[in-house]
Amino acid sequence: MAENATAQERLFALRAQIARLEGKSLPALAAAEQAQAAERPECGKTRIKQPRLPFGIDPLDVALEGGLPLDGITEIRTRSMGDAGAASGFTFALASHLKRRKADGAPVLWIGDVVSRQEAGAPYAPGLGQFGLKPQEVLYAVPRKLDEALWLAETALASRALSATILEIRGNLKNFGLTESRRLNLRTKAAGRPLFLLRHAGEEEASSASFRFLAEPAPATGRRLPDGSVLGGSIGYPVFRLILEKSRNPAPLSFLLEWNPHDRQFSLNSKAGEVFSFHAPPAHSGAGLPASADRQDRAPTLGHIVALERAS
Amino acid sequence: MRLTALDEVSERFGLRRGQGLTEARAMFPAIHVMDEDEAADRALIEAIADWCDRYTPLVALDGLDGLFLDITGCAHLFGGEEMLLKDILGRLFQMGFDVNGAISSSPGLSWAASRFGLGGVISHDGIEEALAPLPVNALRLDAMAISSLHKLGLKRIGDLLSMPRAPLARRFGTSLLQRLDQALGLHEEAISPRRPVAALSVERKLADPIQAEEHILQLTGQVASSLKPELEARGVGGRIFELVLFRVDGCVFRISVRASRPLRDPKRISSLFSERLATVHDDLDAGFGFELLRLNVVEHEVFKPSQDDFTGDGQSDASFADFVDKVSARLGANCLQIAELRQSHLPERAESFLSAMAARAVGKNVEEAFAFMPKADRPLRLFRYPEPIEAFAATVPDGPPQRFRWRRIVHRVVRAEGPERISPEWWLDGKDAEERDYFRLESETGRRFWVFREGHYKTGDAAPVWRVQGIFA
Repeated sequence: MAENATAQERLFALRAQIARLEGKSLPALAAAEQAQAAERPECGKTRIKQPRLPFGIDPLDVALEGGLPLDGITEIRTRSMGDAGAASGFTFALASHLKRRKADGAPVLWIGDVVSRQEAGAPYAPGLGQFGLKPQEVLYAVPRKLDEALWLAETALASRALSATILEIRGNLKNFGLTESRRLNLRTKAAGRPLFLLRHAGEEEASSASFRFLAEPAPATGRRLPDGSVLGGSIGYPVFRLILEKSRNPAPLSFLLEWNPHDRQFSLNSKAGEVFSFHAPPAHSGAGLPASADRQDRAPTLGHIVALERAS
Repeated sequence: MRLTALDEVSERFGLRRGQGLTEARAMFPAIHVMDEDEAADRALIEAIADWCDRYTPLVALDGLDGLFLDITGCAHLFGGEEMLLKDILGRLFQMGFDVNGAISSSPGLSWAASRFGLGGVISHDGIEEALAPLPVNALRLDAMAISSLHKLGLKRIGDLLSMPRAPLARRFGTSLLQRLDQALGLHEEAISPRRPVAALSVERKLADPIQAEEHILQLTGQVASSLKPELEARGVGGRIFELVLFRVDGCVFRISVRASRPLRDPKRISSLFSERLATVHDDLDAGFGFELLRLNVVEHEVFKPSQDDFTGDGQSDASFADFVDKVSARLGANCLQIAELRQSHLPERAESFLSAMAARAVGKNVEEAFAFMPKADRPLRLFRYPEPIEAFAATVPDGPPQRFRWRRIVHRVVRAEGPERISPEWWLDGKDAEERDYFRLESETGRRFWVFREGHYKTGDAAPVWRVQGIFA
């Protein structure tokens, strides 16, 4: 009997240890915490749970258990290099959103990849400025080797001097596997600073990231006129089609997210900007606006994508 | 071919410099001859000069076969001038060099005494005594002056010393008297040291040579902590530090690190070196160990002590500086960059990069530097060199294309905005530069591009070139 109890206790200790490593709360631990909170309410309030970055969109925040973890890795991947614009846009939008939420003066570090820079261009400061990140708020680094990039990411996280670190990589690299991602995850846990991992043209792979998004481009919204109507044929705020591939959710979640660079916040966009037939002239050429009857909604339905494109 | 240098044995046989090779071979058929290699000679003398840094920071080269050391204020560290000279000559002899040396109050006299005299330490009273028996060649005169002196029978410096100065000046010009005065120490002569003198330096001599990196770092920390009081007394902090490691066999390594703000803390100084050592690891061959370690403060700045405030803002600023220093020490100062906006309408000229360390060091008004922001939409990612595309069915004269091919993929355009016309900068690009019409295009997949047409469609001419310069989010 006594042996059994010792074994039980050891098992419980091991479980607690694993839970601590993974940053999750064990049911028993959670219950103990609640009991403690009930006894001393002020203690429960001051105790900071896992810091989160909420999107400000209820269904999404529920699916993310309160938002993106500020002490963990969030991976954003694309299927091909051509979607680099959407993926880097979403990543920078996250960083900008984070800076607005936390009113943090610390800069964001962008650790670029040499080949991606040639393939998809380098982040452009004036464009970033319009996107919601001031040029002096972003630090760029383009290390030559992956080892250096990983070291840089680790140092950046450990220093706690940066509000967010973005690590750009291309494809699924042999030298950046579960071990490395686990190491970085531990760093983020210790420092309480987020790491956004931007993986161009990569497959799904096991990693320590808390969440993984698949980013795809989506038609932008039209420009809104002062009277509330939409200027037809114009290209306004960017929209990303995101699939939440890895999360605690049982089913992958697919949604369209619009980024408003002026207010620096996200909003759900069920209907993408109207797509017109290409007889319509461009918005700003002064050639007149397309007739509204000419437009049609070409945004594909969400369920369709999930059913067909989900790989694993 | 002539002999340019000889070893001791051949000198003893009576060979001399400038002798023809055939003549020498005729005298001694067994001599071994090698081609002169000036670059190697220079490298060797510079290596010896580096090694001599252990005695004084002021080391100057004298041609390919001599060194000047300014030992003002250094001799007592080695137990006096006699001991110093003995130490230098002894160590160089151990390394296999045949060296003469002299210590005196003027470079001219030391030069003369070491090359033509017996060398040794010449006291202030014994200058004329030491100089008089030396030949006039010891005055560093040109060949013409020497031969005319010889013709007049003036073979020793003593002959010159006893003569009235005015006729000498009239006959041989002022350079002879100047050289004479320099040798006597009446005329100040400066040597030109190879390296700037460090503002502060501390060193540690080791009885037992060290090899391991951690020992070097540990010692650096200790040495840096003895540097701290001096920095505090001056109210400064170091910006550039240099670690000089003297290997047992005479090889010298210099490793320098740069800090983004003035530093005093020994721990931070040695942590910078630990990053630097990690990168130079392979180049730093410890061999049989280092016997002398010196830490120089090459550049320093006023240190502004700051008190941490309660909100901890100062702390984060400090940790950011730490981060920048650490990365710069390991990956180079140019690894971390920040963008600066430039006043140009051309997108590729509208931004420039400067290293984060330089930006912090300059400490300029960042708000002002970033004030120029274009009004029209700019892409999130920009290609440094715009890539040509094949545009199909563009609306003539100034409309967007309906399809275009880029990197072998055809994109069908569903929406377009533009044109935004940007004129070339004729003051840089010349008169022939074409103006650009920029369009934002959205393809049917939702990808957004920034393309431009260089020039216009004109009848008779070839179609203008279309290029893609950036992609939007």
